[in-house]
Amino acid sequence: MRKLLVALTAVLLFTGQLLAQKTVTGKVTDEKGDPIPNASVIVKGSNTGTVTKTDGTFSLTVPANAKQLVISSVDMGTEEVSISTQTSVSITLKPADKSLQEVVVVGYGTQKKGDVTGSISSVKGAAVANRPTQSFEQALGGRAAGVQITIPSGVLNAPPVIRIRGTNSISLSSYPLIVIDGIPVITGDQSSTAAAGNVLASINPNDIESIDIAKDAAASAIYGSRAANGVIFVTTKRGKSGKAKVSLDSWVGWSKVQRLPELLDAFQYTDIKNEALVNAGTFNAASNNFALTNGPDGNPINTNWYDYVYRQGFQSAHSLNVSGANDATSYYFSLGYSDQEGIIKRNDFKRITVLSNINHKVNKWFSVGGKLQFSNEKNLAAVSSGSLGDAFSTAGLGRVPLVTAPNISPYNNDGSYNYSGALIGVMNNKQGQVGFNNPVIQLDQNRANSEANHILANGNFQIKPLDWITYRMQYSIDYNWIDNEQYYSPISGEGFPGASATSNLSKLKNTVWTNTIQLDKTFASIHNFSLLGGIEDQRYNNDGYGINRINVNDPAFTNIQGGWATPQVAGTSIGESYLYSQFGRLQYNLGQKYFLSGNLRRDGASQLGSSKKYGTFWGASAGWEITKESFWAGSFMDNVFSNLKLRASYGKVGNIAGLGNFASLSTFGSGLYNGNGTVVFNQAGNSNLTWETSKKLDVGLNFGLLNDRITGELTYYRSDINGLLLYVPAPPSAGLPSSIPTNIGEMYNKGFEFAVNVSAINKKDFTWNSSFNITYNKNAVTALAPGVDNIVSATGGLESPSITVPGQPIGMLFVTRTGGIDAATGRRILINKAGQPIYFQHVVPVGSGGFRFSNPDGTSANAVSSADAVVYRNTNPKFVGGFDNTFRFKNFELNALLTYQLGFYIYYGTRAGLHDQRFWNNETTILDRWQKPGDVTEYPKVVFGDNVSNGSSFPLDINVYKGDFVKLRTVTFGYNLPLNAISKAGIASARVYVAGNNLLMITKYPGPDPEVSSNGNGTTNQGIDRNTVGNQRTITVGINIGF
Amino acid sequence: MKSKILYLALALVAVQTTSCEKEERLNPVPTNSISDLSAFDSQLRIEGQVRAFYATVKNSGMYGGRYQIFNDIRGGDFQNDRTNVVTGFDIWNYTPSNSSANSVQAFWSRAYYAINLVNVFLEGMDAKGTAVVGDAVSKNYQAEGRFVRALCYYGLLQFYARPFYDGNGSKPGVPLRLTSNKGSGNYDLARATVAEIYTQILDDLNFAETNLPLNYSSSTLNTTRAHRNTAIALKTRVYLSMQRYGDAVTEGNKIVTTTAPFRAATGVNHALNPAFGTAFSNYVTNESVFSMPFTANEAPGTQNQLGYYYGASGMNGGNGEYSLLPTGIIANAGWKATDARRTFVVVSAGKSYLNKYPGGAPFADWAPVIRYAEVLLNLAEARVRSTNTVDAQAIALLNAVRQRSDNTTTFAAGDFATPAALADAILIERRIELMGEGFAGSDLTRLGQPLPAKPGVNAVLPSSQQYIWPISSTELLLNKLCVDN
Repeated sequence: MRKLLVALTAVLLFTGQLLAQKTVTGKVTDEKGDPIPNASVIVKGSNTGTVTKTDGTFSLTVPANAKQLVISSVDMGTEEVSISTQTSVSITLKPADKSLQEVVVVGYGTQKKGDVTGSISSVKGAAVANRPTQSFEQALGGRAAGVQITIPSGVLNAPPVIRIRGTNSISLSSYPLIVIDGIPVITGDQSSTAAAGNVLASINPNDIESIDIAKDAAASAIYGSRAANGVIFVTTKRGKSGKAKVSLDSWVGWSKVQRLPELLDAFQYTDIKNEALVNAGTFNAASNNFALTNGPDGNPINTNWYDYVYRQGFQSAHSLNVSGANDATSYYFSLGYSDQEGIIKRNDFKRITVLSNINHKVNKWFSVGGKLQFSNEKNLAAVSSGSLGDAFSTAGLGRVPLVTAPNISPYNNDGSYNYSGALIGVMNNKQGQVGFNNPVIQLDQNRANSEANHILANGNFQIKPLDWITYRMQYSIDYNWIDNEQYYSPISGEGFPGASATSNLSKLKNTVWTNTIQLDKTFASIHNFSLLGGIEDQRYNNDGYGINRINVNDPAFTNIQGGWATPQVAGTSIGESYLYSQFGRLQYNLGQKYFLSGNLRRDGASQLGSSKKYGTFWGASAGWEITKESFWAGSFMDNVFSNLKLRASYGKVGNIAGLGNFASLSTFGSGLYNGNGTVVFNQAGNSNLTWETSKKLDVGLNFGLLNDRITGELTYYRSDINGLLLYVPAPPSAGLPSSIPTNIGEMYNKGFEFAVNVSAINKKDFTWNSSFNITYNKNAVTALAPGVDNIVSATGGLESPSITVPGQPIGMLFVTRTGGIDAATGRRILINKAGQPIYFQHVVPVGSGGFRFSNPDGTSANAVSSADAVVYRNTNPKFVGGFDNTFRFKNFELNALLTYQLGFYIYYGTRAGLHDQRFWNNETTILDRWQKPGDVTEYPKVVFGDNVSNGSSFPLDINVYKGDFVKLRTVTFGYNLPLNAISKAGIASARVYVAGNNLLMITKYPGPDPEVSSNGNGTTNQGIDRNTVGNQRTITVGINIGF
Repeated sequence: MKSKILYLALALVAVQTTSCEKEERLNPVPTNSISDLSAFDSQLRIEGQVRAFYATVKNSGMYGGRYQIFNDIRGGDFQNDRTNVVTGFDIWNYTPSNSSANSVQAFWSRAYYAINLVNVFLEGMDAKGTAVVGDAVSKNYQAEGRFVRALCYYGLLQFYARPFYDGNGSKPGVPLRLTSNKGSGNYDLARATVAEIYTQILDDLNFAETNLPLNYSSSTLNTTRAHRNTAIALKTRVYLSMQRYGDAVTEGNKIVTTTAPFRAATGVNHALNPAFGTAFSNYVTNESVFSMPFTANEAPGTQNQLGYYYGASGMNGGNGEYSLLPTGIIANAGWKATDARRTFVVVSAGKSYLNKYPGGAPFADWAPVIRYAEVLLNLAEARVRSTNTVDAQAIALLNAVRQRSDNTTTFAAGDFATPAALADAILIERRIELMGEGFAGSDLTRLGQPLPAKPGVNAVLPSSQQYIWPISSTELLLNKLCVDN
C-alpha cells in the first residue's frame, strides 16, 4: 500500500501543473542526527513532493502559496513543518508508531496494521531464522498469542503440531492453512519412509520476511472453506530500495539427547528377571533363566544401548542472499544449504534451496513479478524411530534401547553381529528372546530415506487502468516430487530373512490460478474504501507408484534395481481435488477512526457430497480507534494512550483439511483372489458430506501506551464448531467396510489472549525489549453422533489410551484406575468399572486356590481390562505462551525466549514398557519393587510375563502425569563487530553469536520431554508419549555478515 | 498495448468464470475403484465379488492363518516363545481382553465384514445381478456366498460363544446379521443364541449344498472355491460341534464311501493322498477340500503367516513364535518315530517345531481350512459317539488316517475297552494328523474339556470365564444391546 502511494505520488509529480513557485531546501534527520534518505516530502494538500537524498537533504520547488510540508519516512513518524516564512528547514523525524505503520498480510493483499480489525499476530522472519530447526514453524512456539506449537519428537523434520486457538476438528486436520507468497501450499509429512518429511522444510527460514497468523473469522474468512484452523501467511523477502545488499548467514551446532530414563544395568537386569521367573514359578537353572555373558575382555557384558542409538549430532546451515531495488525493479536471490545430524544415529536432514523474487514495473500501469523457489531436501534415516505413529514398532529406535536386555551385546565375542533369526541373539540367557531387533545391524545396514524436490513458483502481472483500480492475475505452482527409498538388510529384524527394498515416487501437484480486482478510493478525504473481488481455481493431483522387492539373490544388492526374487507393487496412489472459489472483501474506514470490513467467499470443493459441493463463508468486523475521538484528545488519557482500539468480529468459516479426495463416495475396490480379480465393497460414502463450520466471535482491545513504549492486545474469542465430521463408527458386527463420514459433531474453543511488548529501556547504549504472551483456551466437545457417545483413539495401533466424549475437552486420557500395591501380597490393585478394588496376580501359584483376579476377600472376580477404563484427564494445555527478552548493551545482545504450556496431562506410555515384566529391560525405579509382606511401594511383586500390572496390556492411571513445562526455548548471545573495525574490509555489518536451544526445562514430567506427541498432529489422540524420542538440545555458533 | 493487455486479462477472467470443466472437476471419478452404482453391472464384477468373499476370509487374520493358529494355541501342544500379544501370547495363555486388537477385535470385525459382503451381494443379486448372470449362475454364486457366511458364523461361535453342549445352544451366540448394511443407521443388535446361529449356519450350508456346482474346471478352483462337497464337509464339522452326531454321520456318508479306500463318490472325488506330506506341497490334490491360496503376490501379510509362527529361523526363516511343547502330543508314545508325520516335526536350536508350512518369506504356503482327513475323523468320531459302540467303521476310518503315515500300526476293536477309549484315540489322531490346522481349541471346547495347563499357565475349566474369548470392546461400546461374556 505504501509503495503504491509513493508510486502514485511520483506519477502525479510529473503530471502536476506548474504555478508560481519557490524553492524549499532542507534536511531530514533522525533523533540521533543521522540523515534519513528516501523520506517523502510533500506539500500539504497537494501532490507536489520529492524524496530526500542519501544525505537526508532535499530541494523542492513548491507553489508560492504553499504553507506546510509533510515529511514522512518508512518506519518513522510524520512531521509537518511550516514553509510560509522559511525556505530552508531541518526536520527531525521520530520513530513511528511502529506497530501501527507495519503492514500485515491479509490474503490477496496487505493492510496497515493500524487499520486491521481482525485478529492477526505477526512474527518477524528474524525470529525463525538461524535456528537449529528444519522448518520455520518449529521456531514459532511462544512467539504469537493463540498459537500453540509442539515439536512432536526429536526426529528431524517431523511436522510440528500447530494449534491456533485450540483443536478445531476431530476427524479432519486441525492444522492451519499455510499460504506462502499468496500460494496455499501442500503441507504435512509427505515422506512414506521412517524419515520424517515435513514439506514446509522446503522453505529456508532465512528467506522469510514475515509471518502473519490470521486467527479470527474476519482475518481468515477470505480463505472460506479452509479458514477454520487459522491461516498462516508467509512472506518471503523482497529487495529493498537501494544498492545491492549481500548477506551471509552461517551457523554450526551440536545437538544432544536429554533426560533419558535410567535403565537397569546387566547385573540388575539379570537379577530382577530371575526374581520374576522365580515368582512366576518357572525359574529353571538349566532351561529357563537369565544369565550374564562374558564379553571379549573376559568381563560380563554390560551394554548401555543408548550409546548405540544416540549420538551428538553436528549441524550447520549457510545462507547467502543478494537483494536490492531501484525504481522499476526489485530483486532478491538466495542460496541456502543446511546439513543437520539428528540425535538418533543416521537421522540426517540436508537441504539445498534456491529462491528468487523479482518484481518489475514495466510502466506506470503495468507491472510483473514472480518467484521461483527450488529446494531439494534429503530426509535420511536408518529405520523407524517409533516416534511417528508407530510407537510399538519392534524396530523403533526410541524403543529398542529401552527394551533390549543390557546383558547382551550387539556383537558376538568374535566381532560378528549378534542375531538369531530376526531377533538379537540371547547369548547366555536361557530365554526364547531378550530383545527385538539388533539396533546396531539396523543402524549399520538399513536405509529409510525420503528425498523431496520441490518447486514453489508463481508469476503475476498487475494492471492499473486507473490509479484506483488494480487488476492482478497470479498463477502458482507447488510441485513436490518425493522419492522414497527403503532397504532392510537380510539380517536385520525388518528384512529377515530375505531382505527387502522398496522405492516409490510420489508426485504432488498443486496449481492455483487467481484473478483479483481491487478498487481503492477515498471520498471527501475521510471515507476510505477498499473493495476486492476475485476468483480462484485450485487443482490438486497426486500420483504415486513404486515397487517392493524381497528375497535378494545376493546380499550385495541393496536397491530395487538389484537381483531379487519378488517384485510387488508398493506405494501406489492416485487422487485429485478441485476447489473453485469466488471471493470479495470490502474495507471502509472513516478518518482512521471507525473501521468496518467484510469478507465473503463461496467455495466449491470436489471432495464433498454430490448434493453439497458449494458453501458460502463470511466474516465481518468493526473497529473503533478511541484516541482519534475529539473527547479523548487533550484529555489526561491521551497522554497515556498513544492508541486504543476496540475491535470485534464475527463470521462463519469452514474446514475440509485432511478430507479424502473421494470421501463422499461409496466404492468397490479391487484386489486378487489367487490371481483372479475381486470386486469388494471397500468404502461406505455419504452424498451429504460437507464442510465443518466454525462460527467465530472475537472481541479485542489493542493498545499503545506512553508513545507506544508499551503495546499490546487483549482478546476474547469463541469458536463454535458445527457439523464436525465424524467417521461415525458402526458396531463392527454391522460389517461396514469403513466408518461413514458424517457432519454431526459439535465442539467449541473459547479463551483469552493477552500479548504485550515493552520497550523497557531505550538508551543509546542499552536497550531492553520484552514481550510476553499468554493464551488461555478451553476446549469442549458438546456433541458426537447419536448412538456414539465416545470416540476411542489408538496409539500405535496397539493400545487405546484416548477418548473423546461430550462435555469434555477433545482427546481425554482413557485409563483404568488402580489402587496401589497390596502391601501383604505385592499384587497390583486394579479398580474395576464398579469402583471395586480387584487384586491382580499374573500367575496363580499351582495349588494356591487363588485367582488371577480376585476380590479383597480372595474370591474370584471378573477380569479387569480396558473395558473398566474411565475418562481420566485432559490433554489440552489450558495455558500456552512465551516470554521473550532482548537486551542490547553497546554491541552486545542477549535474547532469551521462554515458552510454556500449562494445565494438561500426558499419558507416559513409555513408562508402562519400562516396568513390563516380560524380557524387557526396566527403569531403575523397579528396584523399589515389592519384595516381602509389609513393603509399601509403587511397584508390584515382579512376576515374569506380567504385562498387566504395569499398564502394557491396557493403559493404567499410574502412567499419567502432569505435562506442565517451561522451556528455555532459545537463548542467544550476540556481538556486533564495531563498524570501524570491519568497514575497511568492505563489510557493512557483522555479528557473531552463540545460541542454545532447549537448554533448560522446568517440568515435573518424568519422561524425557513433555513436549512430544506420539501421534503427531492427531486430534483425538494427543498427549501420548509412547516410546517417543525427546527433543534435542542444541548449541549453535553463528555469524551474520552484510556487505 | 494497454487495451490489448486489458482485453487479454478480461478474456482470462471470462474463461475462468465460465469454464465448463469446472463442474466436471468438482465431480471427479476415482480411477482406481468402482462405483457402488455399477458393482452389479457385469458378470465380471459379480464374480469378482464372489471371489472377494474368499479373499476377505483369507486376509487379515481369518482363515488364512490366524483362525488356525488361535485354535491350535488354545490347545496343549504349542509353546509360546515370544510373549508377544500381537502374535497371540494372550490367546495362548487364555488371557485375551476385550481390547486385544489382533485377536478378539480383529477376528470379530473381519468375520462380520465378510458376512456383510455376502449380505450386500445377496441383496444386490436380487435387485440386479441375477438378471445379469441368469438364474442358474446366480444361484451358484449365492450358494458360495452363503457357504462363506456359514464359515464366518461358525468361526465366531468357536471363539466368542459358549459351546453348543452348554445349555444345548441356549447361551448367547453372536449378533445374527442377514441384511445388507451400506450406510449410516442404527446397528444395535443383541446376540442371538448359539442355537439360532447354528440353525442359520445349517440353513446356509443346506442352501449351498443344493445350489453349489458339483465341481469346477480345475483342481485349483476345486480347492479354492466352494463346491457341493465343500459344504457337506463343513456340515460334518458343524454337526460335530453341536454334538448332533447322527446328523454328522448322515453328512459324512454323503462324501465318504462305506469301505476303504474311503473317497467321495460324487462331485469332486476327495480322497487321502497316498503320502501324508503331499497336501503340504501340492495344494490342489483331492485331499484338500478347501484351502486359502497364497502366492508371493498374495502373501498372508505380516504376522499372519502359518510358516512365520510355526517355523524357526533355522528352518524357513520363520520367527519361531511357537515351538512344540515337549510334553504335548509329540510326547505321545503311540505316535511312532517311523510315522511319516513325525518328519513334519523338526528340531531347530534344541526345540521342536511343526514343519507343515515350510515355505520361507513371504510364507506363501496355502492355509488348509478343510482337509479330507478331518472329514474321515469327523465321521469316525460321530459314528462312535452316535452309536456309543466301538464302531468298526470308525476303526476303519481311524486306520485309514493312521496307516497312511504309519503302516506298522493297526487299530483293532480289542484295543478299545470302551467306546470312550475309541473316541479318545480318534481325538489323539486328530491332534497328530491335524496339528497346526486349527482344531485343538475347538476340539476341547465342543466336548467341554478343560483347556490344558502349560508352562506358566494354569488349566482353564469349562465353567471359567476364560473358556471362551471376551467380546470385542469396540462392539460393546457401539452396540448397546450386545453383552460381554
